[in-house]
Order: sequence, then C-alpha cells, then structure tokens
Amino acid sequence: MKGLQPLFLGVFGIFAFSWLGMTVVPNLQIGSLNPQTDEDGSDVYPSPRSGMALRGAQVYAANGCVYCHSQQVRPDYGGSDLERKWGERRSAPRDYIFEPIVFLGTMRTGPDLANIGHRPALQEKGAATPAPAPAGAAPAAASSPAVAPSLGASPAAAHPAPAASPSIGTSPAAVVAAASPAPAPSALPAAGDQPAANVPTAAPSLVANASELTADGQPLPYTAAWHHRHLYNPRSVTDDSNMPAYHFLYEKRRISGAASPDAINFAGAHEGNPESGWEIVPSYDAKSLVAYLMSRDQAHQLKEAKSPVIAAAPGKEAQK
Amino acid sequence: MNTPVEINPEPPASANEVTSAEVDRVERALIDASTRLAVLVFYTSAIAWLILSTLLAIVASFKLHAPDTLAGVSFLTWGRLSPAQFDVLIYGWASMAGMGTAIWLMARLCRTTLRHPLLLISGAAFWNLGVLMGLIGILAGDSTGYEWLEFPGYSAIALFCAYLLIMTWALIMFRFRRRGHVYITQWYLLGAFLWFPWLYAAAQVMLFIFPIQGVMQAAVNSWFANNLLFLWFGSIGLGTAYYMIPKVIGRPVHSYYLATLGFWTFALFSSWTGMQRLIDGPFPAWMITASIAATILTMIPVATVGLNHHMTMRGYFSLMRYSPTLRFTVFGAVAYSAFSIVGVVMSLRTVARIVHFTEVGTGYTYLGLYAFFTMVMFGSMYYIVPRVVGREWRYASLIKLHFWSSAYGIGLMVLLLLVGGFVQGVSLNDPTLPFSESTESILPYLRGRSLSGILLTVSHCVFAFHFGLMLLGFGRTASVPTFLNPVEGERRGGH
Repeated sequence: MKGLQPLFLGVFGIFAFSWLGMTVVPNLQIGSLNPQTDEDGSDVYPSPRSGMALRGAQVYAANGCVYCHSQQVRPDYGGSDLERKWGERRSAPRDYIFEPIVFLGTMRTGPDLANIGHRPALQEKGAATPAPAPAGAAPAAASSPAVAPSLGASPAAAHPAPAASPSIGTSPAAVVAAASPAPAPSALPAAGDQPAANVPTAAPSLVANASELTADGQPLPYTAAWHHRHLYNPRSVTDDSNMPAYHFLYEKRRISGAASPDAINFAGAHEGNPESGWEIVPSYDAKSLVAYLMSRDQAHQLKEAKSPVIAAAPGKEAQK
Repeated sequence: MNTPVEINPEPPASANEVTSAEVDRVERALIDASTRLAVLVFYTSAIAWLILSTLLAIVASFKLHAPDTLAGVSFLTWGRLSPAQFDVLIYGWASMAGMGTAIWLMARLCRTTLRHPLLLISGAAFWNLGVLMGLIGILAGDSTGYEWLEFPGYSAIALFCAYLLIMTWALIMFRFRRRGHVYITQWYLLGAFLWFPWLYAAAQVMLFIFPIQGVMQAAVNSWFANNLLFLWFGSIGLGTAYYMIPKVIGRPVHSYYLATLGFWTFALFSSWTGMQRLIDGPFPAWMITASIAATILTMIPVATVGLNHHMTMRGYFSLMRYSPTLRFTVFGAVAYSAFSIVGVVMSLRTVARIVHFTEVGTGYTYLGLYAFFTMVMFGSMYYIVPRVVGREWRYASLIKLHFWSSAYGIGLMVLLLLVGGFVQGVSLNDPTLPFSESTESILPYLRGRSLSGILLTVSHCVFAFHFGLMLLGFGRTASVPTFLNPVEGERRGGH
C-alpha cells in the first residue's frame, strides 16, 4: 500500500475539511441560538409551535410544498422580497430555531410563505379577480357588510373588511378573503345577483378559525377559510395560479340534514367548487396544514435583523 | 509523463510462449466474464429506474400546466411526483449506473477477477429495495421534506447497508489488485466510494438522527446535495471519462501530471461549493462567500481536465463519427465544462440575486446530472455491455437515435430552463410586476421543457429496448464493434 497513503489521507482530509468547514463550524456559530427576550425576560421570540402546526409541517413536507414555496425573506439588497411585502425585515437564523423542519426553499414558483400567517391578505396587483370574473366582484363586496352583523360571535367578522384594506389597494378578491366568515343565510338577499349555486352549501362555515384574526387596526391576514378555499381550489382565489388543487386533503360529501360546521365556505361560484347540495370538509391534515401556514410569522423585531428603512438607508441594515 | 494507455504497462512475466498481447486479451476476457452478472444486474436495475423516472417526469410535467388533473389522488400530486421522480433518477438510475460502471472499471484497472459476485449482487438487491421503499414512501406521503434526501428513514437504512456491501467489496478488489501503478480513474473511483458513505451518513445523522437546530438543517441539506453531485456523481463521471477517452482512441492521457492536479483541485474546491445557492439567506455571510470563492476556483480543475481531454483527443476528433462510446463520453466531458462555467456565472452575487429561486437552479442540476454524468454513463455502457455479454450492439441506427434524441433533448431542456429561469428571475426581482408575472413568464419555457421531455423519453425507450436485446442475446456476433457510421478505409484505434 505504500505510495497510496497520501491518496487515502488526501481523500479523507479533503472531505473532513469540507465537512468541518461547511457544517460543523457554522453549526458552532449559529447552531445553538436562544430565543430573544427583553431585558426583563418577557416578550420572548420565537416560541415553540403548537402541536397542530407541527403536524402541519409534516403535511407540508409530505406534499412537497417546499418545491414551489420558499420561507425566507431576503434583505433589501438581495431582491424584491421586502417591496413585495413578504416580510417587514429579513429573516434571521433565530427565526427558525423551533422549526421541526426548516423549509427555506430553493424555488419560487409560488410566493414566499415566511410571513403568510401575518402579512396582509394582499392580492397581487391586477392578478385575481374573484370567481366569475366581473360578476363576482359585486356580490362579494356587497356580502361582507351584510355578513358581519349576522355573525356577531366572531370578532373578526365584525371588522369591516373593506375599511381595513383600501390603503393597500386590495383587489376584490382580498375582500372576499377578509370576509371569509361565510355569507350566512341572512346574507343571501344581498348576493342576489349571484348564481345561487353553491351559496347554500356554505352555510355556517369556519367561524372558529376566524377568531385567529386580530382586530387591532392591522390589515387582516389570510384567514383559515381563505387557506382552505385556496388549497381546495386555488383558481377560485387566484385566476392564474398554477398551484395544484389538494382535493385529497378534503372530504366531499352530500349535505344531509345540517351542514357540517367545518365545511369550507366558497364565497362565490367558481369552476371546480362543489355543486349545490355538496359540501367540502377539511380533513385533520388539511386543518393542520392551515394551522401551520397561519403560524408562519416573522413579524417580531429581532435585534440582528432590523427592518430597513427602504428609502433612507438602502443596504445599511444591521447585520450582527 | 506520458504513461501508456494500457492500464498495466508491464506484460505478465510468464509470457514466453504466447505473446503478451494474447495473454492480456485472455485475461481481460476472464475479468469481464467475472463481472458479467454483477454489472448486468446494476445496469438492468438502473435502466428500469430510468424508465420509471421518465414516466413519473411526464406526469409531473403535465400536471405543472394542468394543476387540476387528478387533484383527488394524493400520491399523484405534483409535490410528491416531483421528488419521487428526481430521487429515482439520482438513486435508482444515476447511482446504480455509476456503481455498475465503477465495478467494471475497478476490475479491469485492478486486473483482478471479481470474487464473490453474490455479495455484490445482494448489495444491488438491497439498494433496489431501498429505492423502491423510498419511492413508495414519498408517494404515500412519507417524504422527509429535505431536497434529495426525501427517502424516509427505512429506505435510507436499506440504501446505506446496501452501499456498505458494495463499497466493501470494491475496496477488497482494490486490495487484491495486481501490482502496477494506480491509474487516475482509480483515484476518482476510490474517492467516490469513500466519500459517499461519509456524506450520506453525515447528512442522515445531522438531519434525522440528532437533528441540528434551525437553518443549519438547510445548510447541511445544501452541502449534501452539492457534494452528492460533485463528489459522488462528478467523481465517477470524470473517472469514467478518463478511462474511456484514451481507451477508445488508443493513446495515453496527454499529461498524467495535469490529471493528478485536476483530481486534487477538483476534490478540494468542489467540496466547498454549494452554499452560494443560499445567497442572502439567513446564514453568516462568510459561508456564502467561501462557497463563491470555491466555485470560482473550480475553474482550475475544469481547465486542467478539459485541456487534458482536449490534448488527448487532438487529431482524433474524427473518431467520434464512429465510436458511440467516444461520442457520448466527449459530449459528457464538454458538458462538464459547460456545467462548471454556468456554475461560476450563477454564483457571482449580481447574477445569483437574479437567478435565485428560479428554474435556473434546475437547469444547472440537469446540466451536471444529465448532460454530463448520464451521457458519460451511456457512453460507458456502450463500451462495457458488449464486453460482458459477448455480443455487439445490434443496430447502429438505434444508437444514433439514442444519441441525438438525448443530446437535443437535454440541450433543449437546459437551454430553456436557463433562459426561462433568468426571465423569471428578472420579473421576480421587479417589484412593480405582480408575482404572478414571474410564474407566467416561465410557463412557456416549461411547456417547451415538456417537449424536450418527449425527446428524452424517446431516447430512454430506444436505449432500454436496445439494452434488452443485448441482455436477451440478440446482439450481433461479430468481432468488430458496432460503429455509428461505416468506417472508411483503415479502422483506427479501439472501439
């Protein structure tokens, strides 16, 4: 074997060098971070996720969401992420310390999801008009004020969606989203010019999920109902989406007697939505996935990744 | 430093009555015969996986334009098909083809017959089992969610055990090699065989057994994927090209010194690349910068390897007209240079910020995995299969069809993905355009890619059919190899 020792040593040495340099050393640097707290130990960020969101991460992995969606916001010098309102600051290693699986992603066939549980339900400009193109807008907008009083139980619904969003140029589809807590039967007259096809199926819908919203004057984030509609029938929410429909995460069943309280409310008829007399009920996996999506929130300020003042100091953000 | 191409330049000492060339020929035939079963098991499995991966790719590609198709079938959702297709391609096709070729090369270069082929064949069986379980696992919704490592734990264990069998066996063969100098191909193969288990085990331990915290998971994932591409596939591919090109044209490698320089710089620099694909992500900036620097430095091995092949080939390029092996291998070797140059351009920060999160990354991967590695493997199969089955390829026309459909197919695919991804990136980075614009802008290119997929499907089916003929003994019984075109005048070199 003499003469070959340098070969074997070299082969091992080179790999050890790469392994140490590219994984072990960085791990020493950022591999054991703690949550950030205030001086008095309060205001802890981030904090561990709920059980349902953890399960949702597995659903996210199983169905390959990561091949089209990233979960990282780049700094202002690195792309248009901040201008697209995908986040208010760049992502930092500390944001991910409790993630069971880190889905940073390498591809953006779909938009970034790092803040999907927080950021305003903003539709892409000019992108989506809701359901049946021009006709859908009017009934949808009209329905939301009508709905609100009828669902007094839900604080979110009490928040007048149109008022919350005009400043960010919301398209009608976003209003539909914000008005997610379903047109209750009382809303039907207001939506009278709409094909009545699926409205009755939508009856009480996801009131419970709607309580996730905070009505503190912030623009409303995407609701659970919106996520379910989007997962079941992406093109009913965004016309030119090429996201697959995840029918297999939902159960389609005939309404017999009372409709399920969990059934998705499809605010408006659209190709691919269930026909009248049928309802779409999310499975536990679907609910977990939505819980996971709604836990995507990097809004909390971090010392090492301040929100840049975009116009004033381009590229001068604090990097520890 | 012009070492003769004959891998062991010293004739056996006992050659007094017959000529040494005759002894060599008989010896080679014995070695080939001993590897016959093992190599064919690896190749047959590999080709079967290639066809399966192609079928999965067709469905996945179709579903990308028609996302509502079969929306109720969980195991056919795009997010499961896509990783299933890719993992079958890298672990089923590329790894098994690579190991089959590596086994044969090792036996030939060590000038030793293959002992205990059953050990190796059981390794292949376990590997197949691992890929099959992984495929079913992904389709059933058991994916781990880490790119290139989607196979769930039970599959990973089977793959790893299978691998240990195969590797141990390869090292034993090296231990029993005949004296003589160790050729550059053996360096690459030894490197690949020793790097893979460490790489795979390190990734499994750091991601699944004792998961490390937070974003470091993504870094380990990126490190794994990159090194799998370079140190595993890259080493086998380069090693094979270093054997096939000199062998077919019948002259020694131009410079052995350049070859060793190329090997060490390749291993050293390419193993540090990969993090540039995390640009602007939540990582310490030095990691990205180190990888960009390493990527630029990979130009050294690329230049030395490219120059070496070019100088070896000089004056013999016309042989590509006849030899299928040479044609595929040279295509692969040129694609390796293109792959590396694209990699360098992509890593520069200004470009990286545009092409990050776009199809350019996919195009780059296919440039390495297919245009380089797979084409080299096809070339080696055209050389090795006739030697182990004792027949020559039946139809030159099928080989030509295979070459042109795969060359045009992969060329078109890579071109469309690179250009389309760039366009996608430009609209992605323009905040005045809605996000949907970036997806819209890539869609025509993706449709074009489906077209290139048809070409590749044709190519794979033709090759599988032709291979099947060889396997079933329908090859030509001739002493002359199958040339792509009738040889005018004197036949030069080997085959």
